[in-house]
Amino acid sequence: MHIENHPVLGKQLQKPVTVYFNNQPLLAYKQQTVAAALIANGIKKLGESRKLVQSRGLFCSRGRCCSCYMTIDGENHVRSCMTKVKDGMQIYQSLGDPEIRSDENGY
Amino acid sequence: MDTDVLIIGAGPAGIVAAIETASKGLNVTIIDESNLLGGQLRQQTQMLQSLPSPYQSMRGFELAQDLTNQLTQFPIRYLLEHRIIGIYANGSLGITDELNVFPIMAKKIIVATGATENAISFPKWTLPGIMTIGAAQTLVNRDFVIPGKSAVIVGSTDFAMDIIHQLIDVGINIKGIIEQQPTIQAREMKKVNELYDIGLPFYVNASIKEARGIGEVKEVDIQLQDRVFTEYVDLVLVDGGRSPILDLFYQLNCSFGFGDKLGGWVPSYNQSFQTSVNDVFIAGNATGISVHGALLITGKIAATSVCEELEVLSREEAEKQSAELWKELESREYTDVFQERIKHIESYKSPMLKNQFIS
Ligand SMILES: Cc1cc2nc3c(=O)[nH]c(=O)nc-3n(C[C@H](O)[C@H](O)[C@H](O)COP(=O)(O)OP(=O)(O)OC[C@H]3O[C@@H](n4cnc5c(N)ncnc54)[C@H](O)[C@@H]3O)c2cc1C
Ligand code: FES
Repeated sequence: MHIENHPVLGKQLQKPVTVYFNNQPLLAYKQQTVAAALIANGIKKLGESRKLVQSRGLFCSRGRCCSCYMTIDGENHVRSCMTKVKDGMQIYQSLGDPEIRSDENGY
Repeated sequence: MDTDVLIIGAGPAGIVAAIETASKGLNVTIIDESNLLGGQLRQQTQMLQSLPSPYQSMRGFELAQDLTNQLTQFPIRYLLEHRIIGIYANGSLGITDELNVFPIMAKKIIVATGATENAISFPKWTLPGIMTIGAAQTLVNRDFVIPGKSAVIVGSTDFAMDIIHQLIDVGINIKGIIEQQPTIQAREMKKVNELYDIGLPFYVNASIKEARGIGEVKEVDIQLQDRVFTEYVDLVLVDGGRSPILDLFYQLNCSFGFGDKLGGWVPSYNQSFQTSVNDVFIAGNATGISVHGALLITGKIAATSVCEELEVLSREEAEKQSAELWKELESREYTDVFQERIKHIESYKSPMLKNQFIS
């Protein structure tokens, strides 16, 4: 849920944007991070661990634990807690091994 | 790119150090990996007590704004959304904006990269919905998002008590506070009592036996001394204490000491807040976890030392200023933390760890 009227900070959510999670449109607001916007929409599972395939979600919200990796606008392994939403952003869970070395990525 | 003073980390300690050095006419550059000044103060809505003069008691984000406003008086160079990722052989630092890397050569460096929250592990602690209590605070006060409907809190420090109040205010149902020790860890009993009074259950000698859920947490088993019971929650918020962030200090080749009350491993520093590397100074929670008033003072002391070394402050002036600041630090900080800080400084010449990565 988005907090429309914060008890101390008041009405802060002014600029709505649309982001796409697995191609589904979701409402987010400009100052939010990707992870936060997904949680506001009830999505907590952001990816799976590589080896044991365990669900992963936001843990530190500080860019330090790497539990929140997602694929954002075609880029794998992006920390979704440190990335701000942008209108039209395409977001997918981080599942399996990402392609790091490819012609596209300049290897 | 050249600068007299490079400040790494634009939290309260870094900003204070920037104000102090820039006001003496030094050329100052601030770098921070986030896109805003203010560091972890940005999402703190609680009232801060015992700030040093001239600050009055105010909320965390208000202090962040106040400090940021003061900075605008000076011609400081900002590198927001930039990170240091390495050190060149000639001593300049490698900085990236995530696309390019470029060097910056600084006469003096003040590292004020703050602290990070520690995890508490139990079976299935990595399930989504289980997060640090500071992460929940960030969601609520910075992103304006409610992370869940009902929560248990694991840990009971002052830090947690403040945040629990903030979570209740946005309607999150707190089902219990679980403390492994035999007593509640918070020192400010007023905030604890307020929570007792509204009927929040506190469990001591308690821990999480296991969390369960498919794809996200749905329930936890709570182990008490004589029984186990299950709570149905979609949030488990862990308050495992905080520790200084050490990454940059390793890269800069600093030595370390250990202090339980300071948050664990801490870079070695002397009375001038100079690390074991001559041109590298330290400030804020990176020097040991403390209260806000104390953090601001450490920034001032580090800045005073840098001003003296760069000869914009005479030795006598610097010594006088430092002595006063140290007195103030002693009066603001919890006694046991201050004593451990002094012990840490005394071990400056014989650090526990050199050239070694702590993992
Ligand atoms: C999520 C969270 C919530 C907190 N809430 C509270 C609270 O409610 N009450 C309380 O008393 N304390 C709280 N703290 C503790 C906090 O450390 C202090 O309140 C205070 O903000 C510390 O000030 P500082 O200047 O030392 O560091 P910080 O405020 O942490 O600032 C450090 C800055 O350095 C930047 N940085 C770190 N590494 C790099 C790098 N390699 N390159 C570039 N920039 C870097 C960070 O982006 C950050 O802006 C919290 C900490 C966290 C992590
Ligand atoms: S949640 Fe820890 S890095 Fe994003």
